[in-house]
Formats: sequence, structure tokens, C-alpha cells
Amino acid sequence: MSTRRRRADGGVAYLDVQGTLRERTVDALRDRTLRGNLDTAATSWGESRDAMREGYGLDDMRERAREIRRSNIRNLPALLAEMQANVREAGGTVVRAADGAEACRYITGLARARGVKVVAKSKSMATEEIKLNEALQDAGIEVVETDLGEWILQLANEHPSHIIAPAVHLNREQVAALFREEAGTDEVPDDREGLVAHARVRLREKFAEAGIGVSGVNLGVASTGTVCVVENEGNARLVTSQPRIHVAVMGMERVVADWDEAAHILQVLPMAAIGQDAANYVNLITGPRREGESDGPEEFHLVIIDGGRGALRGTEFEEALSCIRCGACLYSCPMWRSVGGQAYGSPYSGPIGAVITPLLEGPSSPASRDLPFMSSLCGACGEACPVGIPLQDLLVRARARSSSPATRASGLAFRAWSRLWRRPGTYRAWMAGWRLMLRARGKDGWATDLPGPGAGWTQVRDMPTKWPPRR
Amino acid sequence: MAPAQVSTAAVGDPLVDLLLESLTRRKATGQVVQPGDAGRAAARWMADAGVARAVLAGDPLVDRIGLADALRREGIDVLTWPTGLGKRESMGLEGPIDVCGVTVPARAVAERGTVVLEASAGHGRGLDVTSRHHVALLPADRIVRTLGEALALTYADGRAAPSAVSLVSGPSRSSDIEKISTLGAHGALTEHVVIIR
Repeated sequence: MSTRRRRADGGVAYLDVQGTLRERTVDALRDRTLRGNLDTAATSWGESRDAMREGYGLDDMRERAREIRRSNIRNLPALLAEMQANVREAGGTVVRAADGAEACRYITGLARARGVKVVAKSKSMATEEIKLNEALQDAGIEVVETDLGEWILQLANEHPSHIIAPAVHLNREQVAALFREEAGTDEVPDDREGLVAHARVRLREKFAEAGIGVSGVNLGVASTGTVCVVENEGNARLVTSQPRIHVAVMGMERVVADWDEAAHILQVLPMAAIGQDAANYVNLITGPRREGESDGPEEFHLVIIDGGRGALRGTEFEEALSCIRCGACLYSCPMWRSVGGQAYGSPYSGPIGAVITPLLEGPSSPASRDLPFMSSLCGACGEACPVGIPLQDLLVRARARSSSPATRASGLAFRAWSRLWRRPGTYRAWMAGWRLMLRARGKDGWATDLPGPGAGWTQVRDMPTKWPPRR
Repeated sequence: MAPAQVSTAAVGDPLVDLLLESLTRRKATGQVVQPGDAGRAAARWMADAGVARAVLAGDPLVDRIGLADALRREGIDVLTWPTGLGKRESMGLEGPIDVCGVTVPARAVAERGTVVLEASAGHGRGLDVTSRHHVALLPADRIVRTLGEALALTYADGRAAPSAVSLVSGPSRSSDIEKISTLGAHGALTEHVVIIR
């Protein structure tokens, strides 16, 4: 079904993205439908989130969440060892994969060995990161995304644009058209309830066929070896209970110590993610089905992915590992709200994506080195983050990491500029000259094509020749 | 047919009242009944919701309240977990569409409107989610206030962790189309909690 290509090097960013980051951003800005859809979503999210802040003291809950996650990351090796031992104790299999390619090899190998033809998936950013769908399809295995939004995107052959609401950039008419094409009939309703009911039946057919269910993991609880899968639709429960084999794919940083910590994070997550005080379904899975039980998978496999995470411990970027993937920084970011997630070219978009994509890929990756610059550094992301990651600081550090050191010429130019602006006399002379130049080049109160360093400004906006500007 | 109006009036027990309030917020419904009326009340609700078949958890509470007989009197087909149905029928792809899974939660979280379902031989993981309707039979003394308290009991030291635990807070929903919440995405379209007190 998908024609997306897969990276051989285990990178995070998508390989099939077109153009440069700048070109994709400009295209997205010109797409009026997209902006309308994003505005609707971001506004409703903002309202629900404000209700959480007032009614539930989300800001106070954040302090504890931050402490929990920092301590988890500090103790990561011990927690992972405990998690691994307890999953095995419960009858599950644990695999530690150094990178995405290794994880994909294990899962496709398992599917082949068990003769599985259809894999049903619930929403998982980790599998999007490791390009599992492409790997399974290359092995001749059908993969079906069962989260409604993800299924819509799979039919559209597009990448998700938001961690929580992947198809937020498409409207109802666009969805109805995709469903009609998939079903091969025009008899698909075009109201929202009808579309949801249609998908329910189509996807039940896939659940009945699937030999493996693949889920992500929101949290792993080390003390009992339990994986937590949080969702609203019920598809993750079907994925984790109906097929004969359940494979859970977890980023190595997703582990908490015990149920006291888990209870806190499990409440913070839906509040920050969707502005609700609980997710509709939280599935807590400890190994495969037990003797006497008549449903649930016979085999449970937990695949834990490093993928560059381990190397971030102890660095100035360590706090990025605290992320619980709620998506709050996306909606709060004026950049993301303007261009959506797809312009980023990575499964992880928005501020957290701009930080972690280049970190997981390595500083020289051309696919992601510009991402830290997708920010005005306004700090809204850091304020929205329910686990207190100082995203704006990480963005600045990520910029420094992906920028080449200043050349001698640019260093000299900045020093000269600084000297001019530090003295009132030369500063005033500079500004007088600038005003003259603006008037000379401007027309009807606006300059539209400035020379030199001003060119970057007027490429995408105009500069008023006097203040206040003429309307 | 729409379910009949059931009384959700406050009963003066703070945890019960808080749970009823939270269930309403989660788009589920709840009612409080005496043990002697529980079977009849649950059957009545299912009949009003148009349920054709009920799949009951294999739990002593279900027998104690005489639910199977009450359902049969309403003309509802009754199966008990494990049902032995084929995959397609248990997934709702064959047989009656209006199936109701009847669960017996191990606990409930008053603050959040959450029922805690523990998988066991008599209590399938898919019982509530494969069906179109979900009725939970909840003894009032199983209600705790916070999620933390509920999970501390479920995963208490010295108790074997259940193979699967589901925290269910209202009917299935999706906001994936135009970010507007729509009920019945994959799981149950309705959820009704019968609180037995």
C-alpha cells in the first residue's frame, strides 16, 4: 500500500520528504485549507487545556512529573534491567535493539517464522521512527494501522502531522473521499458518525485476520514488568488482545520505577495531550495470557529501542529524554500552528521534534540539521510541557550543535556592527542612513526589496518606511 | 431505541456521588441499586438499549444477582465468558450486532469515572471492547477516590499482577476527524455502570 521508502541507516527523518525545510515551510504557509484545519484544532485544544490548568492544578502536577522523569532517566539502566527481568518472569520475551534496523529485523523475522500475513497496529511513534511499516511491507506482510487517524493517513499515503491527532490536517470531505476509494464503493456516508462507523467495521475485519498486533508503549512500569498503552478508541485493546502475538515497541526512555510514579504520569498525560482528565482506555499488560484465560495473546514480545537515546544521558540534552510524547508543545508552538507537522519531515515535529530528531540522527544529517531553527524561541513550548522540559533552552543548544563555527569574516562583521551600535553617535548616524535608504527604496510607505542583510526580511514580508506603518 | 432515563440522583455517599458525576462527564451513565434489584435493573437497561445478546463475565456476582434469568425474561440471549464463539462472531462480524459485554470491575476510580477491569479466566480482555454496549456491575465498596489508590491495590506487593488490566473511562471515542469527539470508534458505543449498594 505504501510507496514510502525506508532508510537503510536507521535515521529518524522521513526519506521521501520533498524539498528543503524552507521550501516545505513556505508551501505549508500558502495552504489555506491546512491553516484553517490547524487553527480549529489548536484553538479547541487550547480551551480544553486551560480548563485542566484551572480545575486540576496541572501546573502543580508538573513539578512532580518532572522529578519523576528526571529520576527515571538517571536510573535508566537499573530500571530497564528490572523491567526486562519482570517481563520475562511474566512469560514475555524482551529484545533490546540498538537501532531501528535491528528492531525491524526482529519483528519481520518473527512474522515470517510464525507465518503471519497481516499485522494490525495501534498508534505508535516509535514504530513510525523505526519505519516498521515499510520493513514489514518489504517482507511481503500487510500492515494495517487501526487508529482511525493513522488509518486515514495510511490510505492517503501521508505521514502523521501530530503525535496525538495524526490526521488533524485533513477535513471530513477529504476523509470521506479516501474511505470511498478504499472500500471501492460510493456508498460511504459522509457525516462524521457514519465515517467512524464505517471504519469500525472495515477494521474489525482486519483484526480478525491479523496474526500479530503491534502497539507502542506509553510507559513501562519496572516494578511489575507492565507496559501501559493509552488510547481513546479501543483499537489498542483489540491490537493487544485479539491477535495471537502481541509485539510492544518501546523507546528505552519510557520506563518508570513503580505504580506510584505511573499513576501520576498516567494522569498528567491525557490532561496535557487532549485536555481530558482521563484517557478512555488505558491497557496495562503484564506478559501473555495465563493458563485458563481464553483471550489475549499467546506470545508477548517487548522490543526496547535505543536508537541514539542512550548516548544522550549525561549530556546537556538529557532532559529531552523525559518527554512523554503528549504533543502539548506542538499545539502551543506558533510555528507548528502555522505549518503543521508535515513540514518538519520527521515523525517527531514541533519543538520536541526539532530538538530530538537531529539528536537521534546525529549532527551532520542534512535531513534534520535545520530543524532547531524552526522556532521563534518564544518559550511557549517550555511553558506547555507537562514534565517541565526547558525546550527553548534545548533548542538554543541544538542550534549551536548543528551550526558550523563562525567564519573569520562573519566574526569581524559582527564585531564591527556591535562597535557601531554601542556608541550613541554612530548608532544615530546608522539609523539616519537606514531611514534615508528605506525612503529611497520604499513605495507607498513600504519597502519590499531591501539590499544586503535586509534581503532576508523582505523576501517574505515588507518593512514599513516610517512608524506607525501605513495600513 | 434510546436507553430509558435512569435515576442518577445523589445518594449521599460521597464516593458514589463523585463517581456518578465523573461518569456523566465521561459520557457514560450510572445508577445506584439495592442488591436485590441489580439483576432486574441491569436487564431493564439493556432491553431499553436494544441489546439482543449479553455476554456475561464468569463472576460469582453475576449469579448472585440473578442476571441471566432477568435477561432471558427480557428476551435477551445470554452467553457466559468464555463464550466459545468463533473469532468472527466474537468480533461482532457475524451474529447479532447489538451485543452487550457485562463486566464486574475489580475497582472504580470516583475522581475520574474509571472502572478497573482485571483479566482472568472468567473475565476476558475483550469483553467490553468487542461489544457494542458495556454494562459494568460494581459493588459500591469497590469504589476508591483516586487512580493512585486503585493501582496500588491492583498491583499490591505479594499479589501476582494480572496479565491484563484495563482502565475504562467512558465509551470509545475518536477525535480524529476534524478533532470533534465522536463515540463508538472501535470499542463500546455506550457504557452503563450499575452500582450495587
